[in-house]
Amino acid sequence: MRGIQRKPPFPYGDTLCVPLEDVVEFRQTSGTTGQPVYQADTWQDWEWWAESWAYILWAQGYRPCDRVFLPFGYNVFVAFWAGHYAVEKIGAEIVPGGVLDTQARILKIQELQCTAMMATPTYVLGMADTAKKMGIDPRLLSIRRITCAGEPGASIPATKKRMEDAWNAKVFDHAGATEIGAWSFECADQTGGLHVNEAFFLVEIQDVDTGEYIEEPGRRGKMIITALDRQAQPCVRFDSKDLIEWAPDPCSCGRTFRMIKGGVVGRSDDITKVKGVLLSPSAIEEVVRGMDGLADEFEVIVDKVGDIDRITLKIEIVKGREDERPRLEATLKDQLRLNTNLGYNLEFHDYGTLPRYDVKAKRFKDLREKHCMEKS
Amino acid sequence: MTGETDLQEIQEKIQSLRETAEELKTMGEDFPALYRNASRILASIKMLELNIPEASPL
Repeated sequence: MRGIQRKPPFPYGDTLCVPLEDVVEFRQTSGTTGQPVYQADTWQDWEWWAESWAYILWAQGYRPCDRVFLPFGYNVFVAFWAGHYAVEKIGAEIVPGGVLDTQARILKIQELQCTAMMATPTYVLGMADTAKKMGIDPRLLSIRRITCAGEPGASIPATKKRMEDAWNAKVFDHAGATEIGAWSFECADQTGGLHVNEAFFLVEIQDVDTGEYIEEPGRRGKMIITALDRQAQPCVRFDSKDLIEWAPDPCSCGRTFRMIKGGVVGRSDDITKVKGVLLSPSAIEEVVRGMDGLADEFEVIVDKVGDIDRITLKIEIVKGREDERPRLEATLKDQLRLNTNLGYNLEFHDYGTLPRYDVKAKRFKDLREKHCMEKS
Repeated sequence: MTGETDLQEIQEKIQSLRETAEELKTMGEDFPALYRNASRILASIKMLELNIPEASPL
């Protein structure tokens, strides 16, 4: 993809399927796996983006009476841009919190009595933390609905509960990507999965090892997705590397769009072998965020001691509960062993010293390749 | 959705809108503002077709 984009027309290359003068929007991927990919959209594509987000918001209970705060840096990443226009489209009111810092955003939510917001799970938790430091209880603010994107957290029960408890709000997940679009959403009934927006997307599930297409519920595979009606850079049978599985039952909300159970449960390129065991970072998140007494932030580092893999988990204890450390350490070790079949080197850090993220968090670091290169 | 909703009638009206907007776009080739606004209307009509899928032209 990145190679193709070095060809003319600049900067999209052969991926562009409309005349350059029909392009009205530029976005780019965050480049998680290397160089960012440039994404062109026509005006119809942009209507299509906002329309698909309008389906999400309406399904999650947003209505014209809502005042929606958007605490994200409006920039080259697609993030919540389409969410912004979808709020307008459903007739609700948008408050763009662009360049404000976190404290100013909290004060603006308080001043305008905003009823909903959209952000990454990491930032939702970080905002609650900042509000508390400012002497403002986020549960007493007027936010009653939060839509998350960018990270899987809102489909991880323990992380979702933390966000809901922190804000006294319902938290909804949605999944999307720059090259694909906003392809799925959790509805107001919250039956433990995401609806695929089948008016806009064709989703297929492929066995990771055999490539066989999976039709039946309960078998996990990687998502192959086609965005219907996207013009400038069509997305046809794109290997998203997201791991999903069909849910066995239709949703109680009455929508006939198929459901995927538990949302995006991981990425085929994220699952890594440590000490010969398959490890998914979201399994660690579920354990850490499920433990009362541990703070929201954590970091996982995989490296080698000699030729042996080592996993270090850095965590923080909630302020004022430091004397519970022996109990927390023992419980955490047990839970991690039970849920991931691996042993960990636990590092307890002072509250507030681990990195905080405003956008996509980078909590999982695999340093083994670097280790091998330094050795050779 | 009420029992009286006539999907066929909705589809016909969307199709009629498309035809009118396409005519305006053609007539607006020497009027950039008309051409551009007709193009934008066509993008919105595409969304109506997605809302009621059977309205899409083959």
